[in-house]
Amino acid sequence: MAKLELLQSLTGHKGIAWNVSWHPSGKIFASCGEDKTIRLWTKEGHEWAIKTVLVDGHQRTIREVAWSPCGNLLASASFDATTAIWDKKNGQFECNATLEGHENEVKSVAWSPSGNLLATCGRDKSVWVWEVAGEDEYECESVLNAHNQDVKKVVWHPILDVLASASYDNTVKLYKEEKIDNDWSCVATLQSHESTVWSLAFDKTGERLATCSDDKTVKIWKEYKQNNPEGVILNDRESVWKCVCTLSGYHSRCIYDIAWCHKTGLIATACGDDIIRIFKESEDSDPNAPIFELACTKLESHPVDVNCVAWNPTGNQELLSCSDNGEIRIWKFIE
Amino acid sequence: MASRFSGALQLTDLDDFITPSQECIKPVKIEKGKSKTGAKIKIGEDGYFDISNGREQKLKKVEITLADCLACSGCITSAESVLVTRQSQEELLRVFNERKYTDNNGITKNVNLIVISLSPQPILSLAARYSLSPEETTNKLTGYFKQLGADLVLDITIAEDLSLLEAQQEFIERYQNQQNDPSSKFLPMLASSCPGWVCYAEKTHGSFILPYISSTKSPQQIMGSLVKQYLSELRHFTPAEIYHVTVMPCYDKKLEASREDFYSEVMDCHDVDCVITAIELEQMLESSGKSLGEMCEAQLDWPWGESEVVASVPGVPGVPGVAGVPGVRRHAGSGSGGAAHHVFLHAAAQLFGHSDAPLTYKNLRNPDFREVTLEQDGKEVLKFAIVNGFRNIQNLVQKLKRGKSPYHYVEVMACPSGCLNGGAQIRPMGSESGRELVQKLHSLYEGLELAKPGHSRLARRLYAEWLHGRHSDKARALLHTSYHALEKSDIALNIKW
Repeated sequence: MAKLELLQSLTGHKGIAWNVSWHPSGKIFASCGEDKTIRLWTKEGHEWAIKTVLVDGHQRTIREVAWSPCGNLLASASFDATTAIWDKKNGQFECNATLEGHENEVKSVAWSPSGNLLATCGRDKSVWVWEVAGEDEYECESVLNAHNQDVKKVVWHPILDVLASASYDNTVKLYKEEKIDNDWSCVATLQSHESTVWSLAFDKTGERLATCSDDKTVKIWKEYKQNNPEGVILNDRESVWKCVCTLSGYHSRCIYDIAWCHKTGLIATACGDDIIRIFKESEDSDPNAPIFELACTKLESHPVDVNCVAWNPTGNQELLSCSDNGEIRIWKFIE
Repeated sequence: MASRFSGALQLTDLDDFITPSQECIKPVKIEKGKSKTGAKIKIGEDGYFDISNGREQKLKKVEITLADCLACSGCITSAESVLVTRQSQEELLRVFNERKYTDNNGITKNVNLIVISLSPQPILSLAARYSLSPEETTNKLTGYFKQLGADLVLDITIAEDLSLLEAQQEFIERYQNQQNDPSSKFLPMLASSCPGWVCYAEKTHGSFILPYISSTKSPQQIMGSLVKQYLSELRHFTPAEIYHVTVMPCYDKKLEASREDFYSEVMDCHDVDCVITAIELEQMLESSGKSLGEMCEAQLDWPWGESEVVASVPGVPGVPGVAGVPGVRRHAGSGSGGAAHHVFLHAAAQLFGHSDAPLTYKNLRNPDFREVTLEQDGKEVLKFAIVNGFRNIQNLVQKLKRGKSPYHYVEVMACPSGCLNGGAQIRPMGSESGRELVQKLHSLYEGLELAKPGHSRLARRLYAEWLHGRHSDKARALLHTSYHALEKSDIALNIKW
């Protein structure tokens, strides 16, 4: 039987730990929370230990952190309505740019695969796309008002410049750039969840998307492109996304986060019932009606809500999680 | 349904619903008797009843007007129907039928003159929709309004001319003041005719941005002053007896017309009573079961006294007649009224002695962010920009905040592509894309007859007879306005994770 083995518990954040983000090398990670700090952790010998604490970047809760694909920049999204960009050009991490424009709380931040674009979203119902315009220079490329409620999360396609967002309006939306005028527009709306969609994750091909919701389900969506063999009809040449699998009956409360490992294909969920669950796709799974099996249930993975889960990008089966009590845990998935 | 407000306003929550985290905070005055216990309220099918005193007393419904929303930093939203009851096509038709209207204080007034002012952008939108020429559209629309009961249908060319002339003069003053005190905030001067942009600036950037915004009123509001304060005298009516309707390309103009700044206690009325947009006109025509093409044509009115069709003005070629005949006109420059163009040429001539300075626009990151410069001795002496759409407004605001704005003047419009693409212009039909439609409206605009504010005899006459001169206190009072920062209140209770 597969299991999640606890490698280490890390404390330091005061109040809620909201988010953790792996450095692309898998040797460093960043965490953030209610205490307005960003903490950078590294492995020394066999133990993970705090390396740096970044303070004074934000005036309110830091909701999410994200490493750029090159690993040189760290973005942080805060309830103070700003997004800060940190780098260590001068030897140590400093905030060298601040993205302003959101009306109020910024909830999520994500770098595009090329590292040239950045997306943010928040309580003002908008999704913003920013372009890296030069050293410490960021310009607003687009402000998207497609959602009609709070936007919880933004995630980029792993290969293309396609952006996805999840909202309190129960939908997921996808966006692409219109080359003629460099503006972005919503190209697909994924409707099926019955409550807030809290988070989402692409698989390694970007042709499938996993979403998790307050409706206690996980849904897997598949992209049907132009001339797809299944004969799914497209609107206006844009791909159609269909829900091909719903995982219900597993989670007993709101699911706050979902992580799809691009190396192993495993899906991990963070749930309000304090449980981390790992799902694995069946080997003979039909692409149009895939089957995901519950591989592992880690009861009481945290004493309170699990806010975030993140697979180590190297595929070494390490999983990070963090919780309302400020604690961060590092797990190893063992089959 | 897509919102008819501009993107900038949608972001400031001035859109069509109250979110759970942001509720209307308009205080309601409750007349209270003395009671030792708390109030008891019964919910009936037809309302709420206070039953504390042993008898049922119906509680008043809260009414939210546009003016409440503009003055508030709370939710600032509600159903469009609640927001724009006084600015709807239904209200307009009712006024036509009854020749009465109810003002903001709930007082019903008789209407003795209904005046319609047409701006060019919605005319072109209707022209494209009904496959008519702009001139046919103008005449048929005039006929339609006359048939509904309008007394006068006017074009707003004269108000656009006055607005441009005032902006040109204001720029020269600001430029000179900035030269005298380089640490001041006179420049860049930012255009003020887009209410979406002004409202966004007031609500989100308050005292930082407002000093830069031109105090010159928009053409709509100058037309309002002209109609309520000049035309009323010519026709011997009180301002409140005139019901003034403007035809505009976006919903944001309704908000502008409702501003307290454009309400006069003395006159007891607003300068513009109702704003109607292209998309609403399309709906009005549809519900009457008619196409605009079927309407009888009528000529625009010219209530401004002596006709100005004169043979020529000695020494000034090409002037005759141009501004003296009613008609929908274009102004050189952008499709939003050409503010940057006119201010640039005037400044080049007045400040640097360049008459007919060349205007070569350079696109920046996208076609909605354009720059134009005047060089003298290899040095850039004037740098202007046209900034359209919310994303570009963001980049402009950030440039200003970081002290990296190189501009002397910026024409700012909240909608991408400017006013021809206003939020309440008629949507493209069939397979036509929004971009193609805007392109079509642009070429229609280019085909309109050109208005030249500097050569307008009517403008000259109005300055002389009505405003007591170019720099008078009266001109200042009637052609300029002011802006107000709104403090934000963010209550912790409202925060949603």
